[in-house]
Amino acid sequence: MTDLVPVLVVLVPAIPLVGAGLALLARTARQADRLAMATAVVTAVAALILACTAFARGGQAALHGRWYLVDGASGLLLAVIAVVGLCSALVSPSYLRTSGRSWTTAARSRSLYYAALFVFWAALLAVPVAGNLAVVWLIVEATTAASALLVAFTGRRRALDAGWKYLVLTTLGLSVALLGIIVLAIGQANAGHHDLRALDWHTLRLAAHTLPKDPTLIAFVLLLVGLAAKIGWAPVHNWLPDAHSEAPAPISALLSAALLPTVLLIAWRVKQILEPSVGVGTTRAVFIAFGLTSMLVAIPFLWQSLPWKRLLAYSSLEHMGVIALGIGFGTPLAIAGVVIHVAGHALAKALGFYAALPLLRIDSDAGRRAPTGVAGESPTTAAAMGISLAALAGLPPSPLFLSELLIVLGGVAAGQVVVTAVAVLALALGFLGLLHALIEGVIGDKPAHRRRRPERGQRTTVALTAILGTGLLALFAAGVLLVNSSFVETLTRGTL
Amino acid sequence: MSSALVTVILLLGLAVIVVRRRSVAIGLVAAQSLALGIGALGLAGGRSGDYLVASFVLLIKAVVLPVLLYALIRRTPEPRLVVAANGPLVRLAGAGAVALCAGLLMPPLGLGNSHTEHAAVALVLIGIAIVVARRPLLFQLLGLIVAENGLALLAVSVPGGLSYVVEIGALFDLAMVVTVAAAFAHRIHVELGTGDTERLGGLGD
Repeated sequence: MTDLVPVLVVLVPAIPLVGAGLALLARTARQADRLAMATAVVTAVAALILACTAFARGGQAALHGRWYLVDGASGLLLAVIAVVGLCSALVSPSYLRTSGRSWTTAARSRSLYYAALFVFWAALLAVPVAGNLAVVWLIVEATTAASALLVAFTGRRRALDAGWKYLVLTTLGLSVALLGIIVLAIGQANAGHHDLRALDWHTLRLAAHTLPKDPTLIAFVLLLVGLAAKIGWAPVHNWLPDAHSEAPAPISALLSAALLPTVLLIAWRVKQILEPSVGVGTTRAVFIAFGLTSMLVAIPFLWQSLPWKRLLAYSSLEHMGVIALGIGFGTPLAIAGVVIHVAGHALAKALGFYAALPLLRIDSDAGRRAPTGVAGESPTTAAAMGISLAALAGLPPSPLFLSELLIVLGGVAAGQVVVTAVAVLALALGFLGLLHALIEGVIGDKPAHRRRRPERGQRTTVALTAILGTGLLALFAAGVLLVNSSFVETLTRGTL
Repeated sequence: MSSALVTVILLLGLAVIVVRRRSVAIGLVAAQSLALGIGALGLAGGRSGDYLVASFVLLIKAVVLPVLLYALIRRTPEPRLVVAANGPLVRLAGAGAVALCAGLLMPPLGLGNSHTEHAAVALVLIGIAIVVARRPLLFQLLGLIVAENGLALLAVSVPGGLSYVVEIGALFDLAMVVTVAAAFAHRIHVELGTGDTERLGGLGD
């Protein structure tokens, strides 16, 4: 199976790129939808085969090629991006049928939407398997351009504001990250490594102990601060709530469930390669600082009555903080928690954003204020919202309950008792905030002025709720097996 | 690269935060990019062919991006100049302070040329300052390019230079971002009748 890896590494991002080109040639809406569905299915299958190949290697070392690197973390992220991308493509026709307004003319909007979606998806799929830090940076920068267009797809004033803010802030953040990469390149050049290979993950890992400490520390901080702007870690998260709430729901799902953890993977790899030079204490402190700050900043917003998608956006801020904390602790228990958290958050968050589609159909004001009593009007939508929010809150048997427990135990094992105590408090407060939103939004009182509307076109919502809900339960069971596995052990040790 | 040329590149970046007219600001950024490209070409002797390619990429950037931006301002005429929140002297003082801080606080990056290191970091910070201090969309876009030029200054000064793959990739990415940003600017202008970002802000909790 590993013989196929070099081919799959090229095919996986190439298929959606070809799909993007073909989408632009589609003459009718129906043709564009069918083409998109076919492209999405083929892309997801190829990406999942590659992910399974990475998983099947268990605790073995990463596979390296001239341009690629495939390890356990690549497999995890490829699986997440494949599943969320496929689901987003599948619900897109439903969104496009009811979206009404778009940036461009109605005739072109569908083709352009699919083209941008597939370019964005292709770039996301390329990040976990790219074997070079500079190349990874170039691909992440490419995600910005494609996704900014999608964020502002409706062309409404608020969407344009969100898209512009996202474009400018994340581009500036990535400029700071590139500064860090150039500082690393200077260190490598001084050691006699001049070509592009000097910035390969593998080469950097081998050379890390010879890199000068102070400039490498600067490079590490610049890289983390720059990437934080794209991950949406506080305090550089300003674009995140706006972009997630203004983007079309399938795109919000991709942004939150796939883009954020994908960029977080880069930060994790930077930690792994530079730790020998910068020191475990420093890298741990930076991750814990970003993690705790993000969790604490999210709490007041999780307690507010926010519109559905905006609430989910602030929940992303909290969960990216939890993942950062787990990586910062770096113990096998915490890393097992990180793996489950990345996958569980992706499934639960994607389901939440997909639920926004029927929610906005039954209540057109749901984009501006918190939903209430949805169960009284649409039990199907309420079920999707309920499962998503219960899972995100960490209500057992959510896999996020297990992952948060493992990260907390991992924190104690790392000797970070005070940090762990603050994290537990933040998690408890976040849980209560989301629980309140769950009760009010799903089973609260239905506003008197709203009449019950017949549920139409709910088949997609039902199917996605069943599939993603089952996936969450399966993840809980698989998560238990993950603890003490060679897969987690290798991830903890670092595979680059 | 000579200290004088590096200083000129830095001063051109500082000037962008002061000027009022969009066309003048584009001219300044074009001049800055051109100076950077010429400086990079000057370093090409004795370096690999890859580096020469990277230097030409910088020169292409100096021509292509300003042309794109001039086309944008022709499509988005402003009825009147957007009034800045702070006067030009305040903006200059702020950006100057940022540049000075970069010089004083930045530890050595290993290049062995502190003037270039400080100038490059200062340009990145000035680019960020332009985005923060200037309201028109086009100026925010120019801020991104000024920051990018700071990065390019550091990249060409790396012993042996950065790989041309990175230079070409970075140019491609920047061109893509500028094109998307130009599309945004045009659409926002259609929607609001102006490129004043202050008029956009309707979000927040």
